[in-house]
Amino acid sequence: MAQRDKEFGSGRGGQVERDVAEPSEGGVEQEEIETRVGWRYTLAQVRNDPTAMAGLAVVAVMTTVAVLATIDGYVLDYWVAETFWYHPLNDPNTVQQLLPPVGFENVNGQGTIDHPLGTDRRGRDMLVRLVYGSRIAMTVGFASTSIGMLGGTIVGAVAGFYGGWIDDVLMRLAETLYAIPFLVLVIAFMAAFGTNIWFAMVGVGVASIPTFARLIRSRVFSVREEAYIEAARAAGVRDRRIILRHIIPNSFAPVLVQATLQIGVAILIVAGLSFLGYGAQPPTPSWGQMLSKSRDVMLNSVWMSVWPGLAILVTVMGFNMFGDGLRDALDPRLQN
Amino acid sequence: MSLARYAVRRILQGIPVLVGVATITFFLSNAIPGNPVDIMLGPSPSQAQAEAIRSKFGLNRPLWVRYVNYIGDVSPIWIATTSSFPFVELTYGVDLGNSIYYWPTSVTEKIMQRLPQTLLLLVSTFTFALPTAVALGVVSAHRRNRPTDHVARVLSLFGVSTPSFWIGLMLIIIFSFHLNVLPSTGLVMPWADPVEVGMETQLGVVLVSIQHLIMPTITLGTLQMAAVTRIERSAMLENLSKDYVRLARAYGVQENKILRKHAFRPSQLPVITIVGLNLTAALGGAVLTETVFNINGIGRLIVGAISRQDYPLIMGTTLFFGVIFVVGVIITDISYAYVDPRVSYGEEEA
Repeated sequence: MAQRDKEFGSGRGGQVERDVAEPSEGGVEQEEIETRVGWRYTLAQVRNDPTAMAGLAVVAVMTTVAVLATIDGYVLDYWVAETFWYHPLNDPNTVQQLLPPVGFENVNGQGTIDHPLGTDRRGRDMLVRLVYGSRIAMTVGFASTSIGMLGGTIVGAVAGFYGGWIDDVLMRLAETLYAIPFLVLVIAFMAAFGTNIWFAMVGVGVASIPTFARLIRSRVFSVREEAYIEAARAAGVRDRRIILRHIIPNSFAPVLVQATLQIGVAILIVAGLSFLGYGAQPPTPSWGQMLSKSRDVMLNSVWMSVWPGLAILVTVMGFNMFGDGLRDALDPRLQN
Repeated sequence: MSLARYAVRRILQGIPVLVGVATITFFLSNAIPGNPVDIMLGPSPSQAQAEAIRSKFGLNRPLWVRYVNYIGDVSPIWIATTSSFPFVELTYGVDLGNSIYYWPTSVTEKIMQRLPQTLLLLVSTFTFALPTAVALGVVSAHRRNRPTDHVARVLSLFGVSTPSFWIGLMLIIIFSFHLNVLPSTGLVMPWADPVEVGMETQLGVVLVSIQHLIMPTITLGTLQMAAVTRIERSAMLENLSKDYVRLARAYGVQENKILRKHAFRPSQLPVITIVGLNLTAALGGAVLTETVFNINGIGRLIVGAISRQDYPLIMGTTLFFGVIFVVGVIITDISYAYVDPRVSYGEEEA
């Protein structure tokens, strides 16, 4: 216990410790207690951090919305939206183009509660398009980060574990990918293989591999010197098993934090791609593309450029707040 | 390892990265479907015409020959075959080829033509972002958990979460459309001829140029500023809790001096690294910023080249970005090793 106190630094560490660690769970191995207390400690830290919890709430709400919208879109063919609300893709029957948000008035009429956030140039409800636009952001965010995390973890763990020329080659490759701006790389990728949201996802994922690879590699350098790795080697465990069962799990905490932040970055990049026309193609709504369409009517219909931007801002901020909280909990040196 | 050896080693390590960038862009841009010939000649060109154009751009040769030639062209030193003894000779110089869309302008010329705008934007961005970020980070760490700190943290959180081009759009709506105080498009170089801009004195040109720069700078700089602020703050916090700072406090060294000397200097190391790495992010951001503000810089050049399948231009500009990045990283690594000698003495390279 004294050991843990030292590890988690001065001040608040000791106090939280008392809340979290139940004394002596007889029969359980020492190491197991250590890890379990570590994770419980982290969770307790995050739970006590109002900013992180607010971020988590935003992330949860946005994910739920996106999942429901995806189910409605792909499985039910927008049946729910059409029946109870408006169709997010098709032009409506009653054309009320560029109607302002509720409480505002312009030449097209008074904003009504039917379209609380106003309508776009083809009279489609802004709110429903924002909700269905969340699909692109969230899908690409999660999927591309998974690709980057998986690829980066493998590359970084192998490079760090073997070192030598393997490390040199892999790290030069990672640096090469890093040297081309993310956006340019993905645009060229999509120009080559097709302008398609799936390619955007893969492109952003591949482009984020170096970030993860660098991170896990530097962790692996310290982990591989640990006594338990040496013990595993002495016991004749194969390299692949050591990497998969010992190195990666023990280097994973910072990757998790980076992944949370990376989802936000991916959402920003996809918004930028869509803004340049390399993203989801109309009529499928995406936030970046809505912003790009709003440029022609920016002067008179400000709301069209405000809402999608706010949606991106809130979502990305949610991921950042949660990621920051997670990092603070895992790395007590930076605790605020 | 001495600093000089470290520097040489670091520069040599940059070469494979550049070859890698050239390779990736070559194959990626050649994988783009359709080809410039179709775009230039329209839907149904005659066979002979198409063939002539193909051979003019060297598109009739096999891919690997074009690849080897390309690597040879862009390498500062390359071995060329000759008809006389000793049959090979060294060729010098970098040739990025000619643009297809802007034929016969060379890619180098096109880049040089667009470079000043992007460079001006980047320089102005970092002169705005870095001092602001360092100041905010230091103050924020110094006044930890006080109102100033909270404001700085909320600001930087917003900064890293907001899409930069959206900031640009909002700024245009507010300052160009509603307040009508700042121009929303284009960029004027401060050294431009006063007559062309319609001003009387050079000072007037500089003022106009600053007016044009304000919004793009904020657009591109907010993310950089926020990112650096966060790093500066955590580095300062870490250093302020170090033993030597506590010792200095115990000795009665003034808080101001501790902040300035003991904590500030070591905190700049991670900032140096992140600025070097963020250079590419800034170049990528420049693409969006230039699009929003209609600035004719390299960012728009590259996006235009991709949509027009102008292979030489795509490859040239991307390689140019790669060179900037590699040089930037090498400079940061070397200055890092200079500031903190442990880096170059250690066996692990940064």
